[in-house]
Amino acid sequence: MIGRNDEELKELFGKFLNSQEADRAVEDVLKGEQILSEHPAPEPADELIAGIKAEIAEAVHGRRENVLRKVVYKALAVAAAVIILAAISTQLFEEDNGTPERTYVASLIPWSVWEGDDITADDADLATLVAEVEEIEQDLAVLQLGEDAGNGRNAVAELETELIEIESNFWKE
Amino acid sequence: MAESDNLAQIIIGCKDGDAESFSQIVDMYSRRCYGYFYRLTGNSDVSDDLLSELFVKLVSKISSYKGGSFESWLFKIASNIFHDYLRAKQRWGKLLEAQKKQLESKITQARQSDSERIDKLQIELGKLNADTRELIMLRFYSQLSFKEIAKMRSEPIGSILSKVHRGLKKLRELMER
Repeated sequence: MIGRNDEELKELFGKFLNSQEADRAVEDVLKGEQILSEHPAPEPADELIAGIKAEIAEAVHGRRENVLRKVVYKALAVAAAVIILAAISTQLFEEDNGTPERTYVASLIPWSVWEGDDITADDADLATLVAEVEEIEQDLAVLQLGEDAGNGRNAVAELETELIEIESNFWKE
Repeated sequence: MAESDNLAQIIIGCKDGDAESFSQIVDMYSRRCYGYFYRLTGNSDVSDDLLSELFVKLVSKISSYKGGSFESWLFKIASNIFHDYLRAKQRWGKLLEAQKKQLESKITQARQSDSERIDKLQIELGKLNADTRELIMLRFYSQLSFKEIAKMRSEPIGSILSKVHRGLKKLRELMER
């Protein structure tokens, strides 16, 4: 930026006025400014300047305090955030390591039955039961078809008794 | 060059919050800024207040100074303070125009209670257009070039040259009467 002292007034006015007009304009400006120089404005009182300096010192001090206060507030905010995060993390951590809730379930069916894929293979009692039931079914089928030559009525009752006995024994295990 | 280096150092001190650096700025510019305010308001009490406001504002605004002409930056703030003052004065009045005229007259006329001597220049300055008067004062007290003033006021340089030329020519005629 060209400073005032380096400014070529003639050249500047010459951009808008012809040479003669530019000369006159420069003369008007210089003479006008000379009048201003010859009539200086009053100067500020020493007390005013001293007061301004004191006010500035106070403002600078206040500004520093504000900066310091901002730093402290920021630090407090960060500390609070860290504490909150730590508390939340601890809570989550404790929940992760906690013993899972245990569910107690009562069942009439033996546990081993639920554990295996092949029920009959995994549980010998059940296998025996299944075999006995199948045998009784066959006997019943024979009786129903009239293939049994003896006292059929008694044989059925006998078989039913046997079945009940087997069943009750099985569920006792 | 040494002067501008010195000013740059002082400004760095101001930005660091050094009260002594601000004091140096006050010593360097208080006369010119006071003259600017005084010639625009014609009132020493108002000029005192505006000068105080300017330098206190400087403390909060110094961080926004990013280089370039310090005078231009400082007088831009001074100009804004003066306009704020004018607006405040205008708000106080019931009738805006009436207040403006009252303000214009206050600039040039000495009050009976005002013990200060109002010089001829102050009276004649009051006869100039307000905008022209402000431009002339800005040019004289800030010591900025026409180009800097045009940039600062976002006005074409031709317009600035024309206003200042006509204003100073008229002032000269008034003063030579």
